[in-house]
Amino acid sequence: MMREKAEALARRGSLLTAVALLALAGVYVRALIFTPIERFQGPAQKIFYVHAPAAWSGLMAFAITGLLSVLYLWLRDRRADLVAAASAEVGLTFSVIMLTTGPLWGKPIWGTWWTWDARLTSTLFIFLLFVGYQVLRGAITDPETRARYCAVIGILGLVLVPFIHMTVYLFRTLHPDPVVLKPGSPSLPGNMLVTLLTSFGVFTLLYLGFLAQRYALGVLRDLNDEEAGRAVS
Amino acid sequence: MPPAEPVLAARDVTRRFGHRRVLSGVSLALSPGDALLLVGPNGAGKTTLLRVLAGLLRASGGRVERRGQVGMVAHASMLYDALTARENLRFFARLHGGASGGRVDQLLERMGLSARADERVGAFSRGMTQRLAIARALLSDPEILLLDEPLTGLDDASSEQVLAVLGELRARGRTLVIASHQLAELMGVVTAVGFLTRGELRAVEPTAGRDVAAITARYREVARA
Amino acid sequence: MRDALRTAWTIAGKDLAIEWRTKTALVSSLTFAVLVLAVLYFARDPTAVGAVDIAPGALWVTFTFAAMIGLNRAFLLERENRAMDGILLAPVSPQAVFFGKLAANLVFVGTVELVSLPVFILFYDVPIVRGLPALVGITAMATLAFVAIGTLLSSMVVRTRFAELMLPLLLLPFLVPPVVGAVQATARILADRPLSEVQGWLKLLAAFDIVFVTISTLLFEATLEE
Repeated sequence: MMREKAEALARRGSLLTAVALLALAGVYVRALIFTPIERFQGPAQKIFYVHAPAAWSGLMAFAITGLLSVLYLWLRDRRADLVAAASAEVGLTFSVIMLTTGPLWGKPIWGTWWTWDARLTSTLFIFLLFVGYQVLRGAITDPETRARYCAVIGILGLVLVPFIHMTVYLFRTLHPDPVVLKPGSPSLPGNMLVTLLTSFGVFTLLYLGFLAQRYALGVLRDLNDEEAGRAVS
Repeated sequence: MPPAEPVLAARDVTRRFGHRRVLSGVSLALSPGDALLLVGPNGAGKTTLLRVLAGLLRASGGRVERRGQVGMVAHASMLYDALTARENLRFFARLHGGASGGRVDQLLERMGLSARADERVGAFSRGMTQRLAIARALLSDPEILLLDEPLTGLDDASSEQVLAVLGELRARGRTLVIASHQLAELMGVVTAVGFLTRGELRAVEPTAGRDVAAITARYREVARA
Repeated sequence: MRDALRTAWTIAGKDLAIEWRTKTALVSSLTFAVLVLAVLYFARDPTAVGAVDIAPGALWVTFTFAAMIGLNRAFLLERENRAMDGILLAPVSPQAVFFGKLAANLVFVGTVELVSLPVFILFYDVPIVRGLPALVGITAMATLAFVAIGTLLSSMVVRTRFAELMLPLLLLPFLVPPVVGAVQATARILADRPLSEVQGWLKLLAAFDIVFVTISTLLFEATLEE
């Protein structure tokens, strides 16, 4: 991958991120001012508009890391590894957002900052899994071995997530039932649904922007290492 | 002149570790009875080349062709310290598909280890470990034997024994590739010397009719180029 | 197929022979298990919390952590003198090597569990006789799950400098479905509930086993040096 292409990608990524952040501000405004207050949960429910999409983006990031891990092991293309790693880092960020907004929403509604309900717990474990991914990445110096090992973790993690989810449903939980993704029509009234779906869209853009930047950074770092290596020999 | 189908061949083999190129465009072809000595400075890539030839490392570019089984003797003994010599050999023999107790005893005898066969390898001297490692490598009677610094750290008696075994193998039509600094000791056993510098196999010189001085001079020529 | 089984059997046998001779990991695991069971028993207010209430959790924490102590042993052994190279030079398939290691680890962890179970029954005074077969079945299923994944992960982490730390770090997220399932099922068995109540958990455990043993076997090859 040429340096110019990578730098161009980084610029485009930054632009996308900036647009997404502006859009996010817009979503906040809409959520706080223009969307009605939920009857039972009160104003605190509005964190849902940030929490749920961040959760979705986080999961999407992990899925992409997993799929690209499969791709890497199949094709052994270094780029697949770089995208997987970039996605893992971005996903880590989003899951931190999830783990901080969850308690903020939970405290006014459940009366406690943290509940060991299944969904929050499984989010925590997925977060830890990707901390593990990063730690593993840092612990191995040879890039090819590192890519292979991280791909293994990526795939294992991808397969784990549905099981975590199943564990959630079997375990009686405090967490509100999913309002959009359950079978049948979504049970949010129109106005709130629009805010939520917009927020989903914005977070997806944000994810893509971050991903592009992080991937470009990875490619540039790789190029630098290569040049440094050549200079020595 | 190499025949149409060599028993071990490398075709333009390259190996990278990250961005570092450790082997570049290495090509060679060996027939039964050939014994190649690889010489070169430390870091030239001798160990890496042997591992690629053995199939323990994948070539980043080019390919390796093997016709027959590979046995290897490396820096590390590939043996279990907690098991006895006999148990070690029996284990590896079983992995190679044959639980022939006879072969195990035969090899222990040949390498002069029968007396210590039921002692734990952890207690062995360097010479004994090396001889046992050779026995392990020979369990399946491989067509190809790769050795990485086989004489290093051995006393004279063990060295003699190893050289004798290598000579026998060559006489029986086995193919050897040996990486070593010890040109003088191995001259009698090998049929050609390859010069490996910075990952490139610069030249392969047959040893027939030449002495150590001639080969050394040629090596210096090639290294300077 | 027969070759693969023979290879796996040979490797497992060798692993167990070596472990039996040195016994270090086994003794550490067993001691650890007894200690954890004891500590968890005392770490509560006995007037408020019955031993039977924390029993399932205590049992499974003990099993999993004691197991993790022994899991790295399998591949550390091969690194000593690069014996793994010797194994790979033989005409063996990576899957067979994995099965051998998995089998040895299962025997190891199974032994720890077998010895800890009576200690557990003794310490926690749990009514277990009628539910024993079910408990054994559940233990087997959950153990297979985390030992399979643990074996795969340990083949990677032994190459890093902090193998003992990295294994729990990477393995723990994977313990959630099987351990939660096992604890839920164990609790119901100890409470003498009918097995039909835990059908969901049993199905989860079985599915998890099938999926993860398969995936671990397939991914093992990618962890070998190339």
